[in-house]
Amino acid sequence: MPITYDTMKNATARLYEWSLRKVPDDTLDALRRAREVETNEVARKTLGILLRSAEMAETGDRLVCSDSGVPTFVIALGTGVALEGDIKRAVSDGFDELVATTNPPLLKHVTNPLTNERSYRGKEMPLVTWDIVDGADHADITCQPKALGSGRWAAMEIFTFPTLEQIERYVMECVLKAGSQHCPPVNIGVGIGGSFDYCAKLAARATLRRYGTPNPEPILAAMEERLLRAVNATGFGPMGTGGDTTALGVHVEYAAGHGFTPVAVAFNCWINRRTRARLYGDGRLERIE
Amino acid sequence: MSGPGGMTGEEPIRRLSMPLSAGDALSLRAGDMVLLDGEITITAGLPTHHRIVEVAEGRREAPRDLREGSLFHLGSYSRETEGGGFEVLYMNPTTSTRFNALMPGLIRHFRLRAVGGKGGLDAACVAALRETGGVYLSFVGGGAPLLSDAIRAVVAVDWNDLVSHYRLVTLRVEGLGPLTVGIDAHGNSLYGSLGETAAARLPAIMDRLARDRAEAEGSA
Repeated sequence: MPITYDTMKNATARLYEWSLRKVPDDTLDALRRAREVETNEVARKTLGILLRSAEMAETGDRLVCSDSGVPTFVIALGTGVALEGDIKRAVSDGFDELVATTNPPLLKHVTNPLTNERSYRGKEMPLVTWDIVDGADHADITCQPKALGSGRWAAMEIFTFPTLEQIERYVMECVLKAGSQHCPPVNIGVGIGGSFDYCAKLAARATLRRYGTPNPEPILAAMEERLLRAVNATGFGPMGTGGDTTALGVHVEYAAGHGFTPVAVAFNCWINRRTRARLYGDGRLERIE
Repeated sequence: MSGPGGMTGEEPIRRLSMPLSAGDALSLRAGDMVLLDGEITITAGLPTHHRIVEVAEGRREAPRDLREGSLFHLGSYSRETEGGGFEVLYMNPTTSTRFNALMPGLIRHFRLRAVGGKGGLDAACVAALRETGGVYLSFVGGGAPLLSDAIRAVVAVDWNDLVSHYRLVTLRVEGLGPLTVGIDAHGNSLYGSLGETAAARLPAIMDRLARDRAEAEGSA
């Protein structure tokens, strides 16, 4: 049975709604662990407030943040899946239907960058990355609403044949520039290599990785570990009012490229908004997180 | 977890009546945690700030008196009720540094006793607050359930031609917080000193990264 316009529309709308209410479990665990070892008293209390807010949102079916961001999706279609109807349009129609019906209503965050007018609709919205999964008989859908608070601090620079030292220095420069402002403790995604556009996607993909799952390549696993220690040595702390916990994880992804090597750095705020589900041809929507 | 902020067995958090008195504002120190009771005014909009600047310059009529009051960078979802009033469904802070350029003028003109939001304000704002005896309060981002539950009444909603989070909203709140004093009236800013500290630490942090890299390469 095919994945249809209706099942895709419903799936993407539900994922967006869930992502606004539930802080992912790995993130809650990381926040709790951070609170246990945090040495700064205000920071410890702040982590407690964040956990309390997450708990209130989850148990009360409420929005964690008033900034519901703009919808971004990664949709990976299995090669064994048949499609029926306008699958691309289903995603934008799903968002239209969601903003018209969801309770409480969302604020208007979709911004026309040429006029700064805000509404619920806009060119190329939602922002979707389409992907393919060989051999799968389902679609894997990830939703990551992206808001200004952390979104504005992402950055990229193109190097030529950089050393690891240069790459790590650039990451630290981005961390210092964001300072107290990206609703820490953050999830930091770093992309290395590929091309201009591909590198940005690598960094965004890195922010989707669960805490506690290092890159399988030892050279990057070691880089992630030392960068996390380095970021937390800056002292910005939870909500940027000081402490040992500025980031909960640094995740690095790379792709081969030419000698010009883009390095991209992206941040997720402490909520680390992310939901995933698997959509099957029979219409089943299996929520993964 | 129980109690404000999920804390138990600790000293009660200091409560402040809003509008903040001159004495209360001066008594606060960067790093203190507080809860607010009383009237606060909020907006998350840059266009709103431009209108407030027009008010300060006498080019626009003020919807209400902002003098010696509070102006917090909080966005809210407000809507009209059947009775012709307004309800606010939720609220949450936005990044204050977006308003850095406008805040010193507004702080001085209106002698604002309390400003706030998240992420702090720059050195020019710290100087203005010191001059007028005002403080900056840090709200937790992603604190919508906690912060919204403190709303007791909607006092006024103005400039309704703007999208909801840009409107100028005055609320009566009870136990709003906990909030952290990010900038006090004596020139102390957690943000300024943290930025300076981090920059000063960077050479040592880079040295440590170099040692860690050498170790990782050695064991590879």
